[in-house]
Amino acid sequence: MHRRQFIALGAAFMATPTLLRAEDAFRMRDFYEKDQSFTPLAKELQDERISVNGYMAPPLKADSTFFVLTKRPMAVCPFCETEAEWPDDIMAVYTQRVFRVVPFNRRITVTGVLSLGGYKDPETGFVSRVRLEKSTFELV
Amino acid sequence: MAGLPLRIEGLTVSGEGGRTLLEVPELSIEPGTAVVVRGPSGAGKSTFLYAVSGILPVTAGRILWGDQVLSEMNDPARAAFRRNQVGFVFQDHLLFEELSAFGNASIAALYAPKNRRAGIRSTGTEQLEKLGLSADEHRISGTYSGGERQRIAVARALAADPAIVLADEPTASLDRENADRLADDLMQLARDNGRTLIAVTHDPAMHAQADRVIDIVDGRIQDSAA
Amino acid sequence: MMAFWYDLPVAVQDGLVGLMLLTPAIVLGAVVLRGFETRPLLFALVRQQVWLSIVFVALIAVSVGIGVGLIAQERGLRQGTARAADKFDLIVAAPGSEITAMLAAVYLQASDMPLIDGETYHDIESHPRAELVAPIAFGDSWKDAPVVGTTPQFVVHLAESLTEGRMFASEEEAIAGARVPLSVGDEFSPAHGVGGAAEEDAHRGANYTITGKMPLTGTPWDRAILVPVEAVWGVHGLAVGHGPEWDGVVGPPFEPRYFPGTPAVLVRADSLGSTYGLQATFNNDETMAFFPGTILARLHALMGDVRQLMSVLAVITQVLVTASVLAGLMMLTKLLSRRLALLRALGAPGRFVFALTWSYAVFLIVIGAASGLTLGVLASWAISQAITARTDILVQATLDWPEIHIVAGFISLTSILALLPALLTMKRSVIAGLRG
Ligand SMILES: Nc1ncnc2c1ncn2[C@@H]1O[C@H](COP(=O)(O)OP(=O)(O)OP(=O)(O)O)[C@@H](O)[C@H]1O
Ligand SMILES: [Mg+2]
Repeated sequence: MHRRQFIALGAAFMATPTLLRAEDAFRMRDFYEKDQSFTPLAKELQDERISVNGYMAPPLKADSTFFVLTKRPMAVCPFCETEAEWPDDIMAVYTQRVFRVVPFNRRITVTGVLSLGGYKDPETGFVSRVRLEKSTFELV
Repeated sequence: MAGLPLRIEGLTVSGEGGRTLLEVPELSIEPGTAVVVRGPSGAGKSTFLYAVSGILPVTAGRILWGDQVLSEMNDPARAAFRRNQVGFVFQDHLLFEELSAFGNASIAALYAPKNRRAGIRSTGTEQLEKLGLSADEHRISGTYSGGERQRIAVARALAADPAIVLADEPTASLDRENADRLADDLMQLARDNGRTLIAVTHDPAMHAQADRVIDIVDGRIQDSAA
Repeated sequence: MMAFWYDLPVAVQDGLVGLMLLTPAIVLGAVVLRGFETRPLLFALVRQQVWLSIVFVALIAVSVGIGVGLIAQERGLRQGTARAADKFDLIVAAPGSEITAMLAAVYLQASDMPLIDGETYHDIESHPRAELVAPIAFGDSWKDAPVVGTTPQFVVHLAESLTEGRMFASEEEAIAGARVPLSVGDEFSPAHGVGGAAEEDAHRGANYTITGKMPLTGTPWDRAILVPVEAVWGVHGLAVGHGPEWDGVVGPPFEPRYFPGTPAVLVRADSLGSTYGLQATFNNDETMAFFPGTILARLHALMGDVRQLMSVLAVITQVLVTASVLAGLMMLTKLLSRRLALLRALGAPGRFVFALTWSYAVFLIVIGAASGLTLGVLASWAISQAITARTDILVQATLDWPEIHIVAGFISLTSILALLPALLTMKRSVIAGLRG
């Protein structure tokens, strides 16, 4: 990210602060029931700024503010071996700023505002059910 | 502003290497007097003016202006004393060449307290006009003649309405007529307003008008009444 | 508190950060200059040392400009290359180098690539989650323009709507990119291969007529000519993708048996999840499937690292230049010492002389930094123009917050450093300065 240079300038107060520790963060299974409906917890946390742990799927677009947060690293997910459907328990993450890509097997904690319900991205046309908006993330 | 009496006791001023530049065992000057200092080149006349204005720190002895002991003040206090009480005309005028005549005459307004700025500016303009110069704000003073610059320097010395006016050869580069006028004006200053004027000059016309003439030879004062 | 910060629009955050970075300089200025009017004398001093001042400003401007230009240029390249890859969600090609395949399929930097056969293509085309599947058959050219064989659906996907004319309907028709010097109705004969290796006469007799023009997209496709993939096969004496009873209508469906192959396939899935699913499915022993966006993001990260390294060097340069400028200022204050001594002889407070020297230094710094900002953006603009002319990837130079932040931080830091020469002027003897 292009923010780095501030450190060089000694303006360390720019660093992204951590809202929650990794161990306080939610996991994606906290939001889905077995039948893919939302849990009461998910509904309760709607529109709140929360932290979620997961992995960044390889982004479809470069220089964007959007990525997919997966429960497990892409390469070890079981559905990758078959033609099985992409699981629905993924989260769409919209970051505040253009982000620097993290390898798919690095665990990250994303902090953003939880938003539920179907939404079609006007730019990419992709539909998501659960989103974290105005997000920032960091490596765990 | 009313003048201040000057009193000097056992003054010694030394230069680099410990050489004694000036010795004044005792000297008193009453306010409202116009004093002229004369002496050969290198005698210590400028040094004397620097010492009594606090530009040059004393080595020994005391300088008192009224009840203010100049010789015991630190740098900032002496600067404040000059700012508030002294108008100084330097030997080679020393103007800010890139500022206008008005800019130079009213330079003290740049660092004076806000409530005094307007007064300094109007007095500066007034003095310039009195000395036959217009307070042209656009022409830089580097373009003025030597005599004109001399008069700008005089206007600058008077702009802040000082109690003490110290002038180092103020008429040096003026023609007879202008020199006389300036000499008259300076003398008038002391007499009308009770200011103290000390002028270093070789100008016999000024010597004649002075209340008192002080001779300096080889750094030593030889006082003689006019 | 933090939540409040993140709820602010990014531009507001950036503005606040910029302000914060500038705060030290502003506060310092307010404190140092309080109660004084330094401006007339400041300009007098600058005028007195005008050439020296210009040299100092130029030094600062160039060093700041390098730092700003680097950041602006990197962002421009990043945005430009990303925009050019926007339409390419998923590329399937024969196993090999993903970067080579991406450069060829997305940026039309043609290279020799093995082909995907008809069976495989059919598997992709018939995948239930695939919304758009199109061959990208590059390799031929006309003058500088690559001639790419594909389907009408791909043209629609790429161009959305034509600015002129209509879609190609037969093997003799073609669509031209916006910057191809051919208009509707023009005819041309393609060459085999591209660039110096093109064999002009290999396809003698094969002629295309331009039937439509695509709008400007700011991508290398602006320089390309799109033809039915059937025509590319036909020109090379291969089967044309359809059986003997073909009615001559170009485009899918293709028959696997008559499908000679394509070096790359563009795939667009019906949903976000399917895009990943299709990638997983077709990234196998026979084919490789990749997101150009991911490859590009990796390249961007690499470019970002290099840029950061260069930025560190640029910052070091800035600091060195500023240090030498401040050292120069100390010498300059010697040149000005007669003026400064005169001020003190007149009784100006030491703080006034201090403020004057400081504001002189900060004046040079601010003018230099502002010119540096302009210089950096101008340089980036010139470089971007050159890159766009060369690659057809629209690279734009913009002024954005990161460089404003850098400049703000630079001004604050150096205005603190400028206290040093200002302090030193106060240590000089008045009388020595006065006697000059
Ligand atoms: N810092 C110093 N160290 C040593 N000698 C000095 C110093 N400053 C001045 N002098 C010397 O002291 C003597 C008196 O100098 P001053 O400037 O007071 O002379 P002046 O009487 O004003 O002469 P003029 O009529 O030429 O202006 C001179 O010989 C000068 O060279
Ligand atoms: Mg002298």
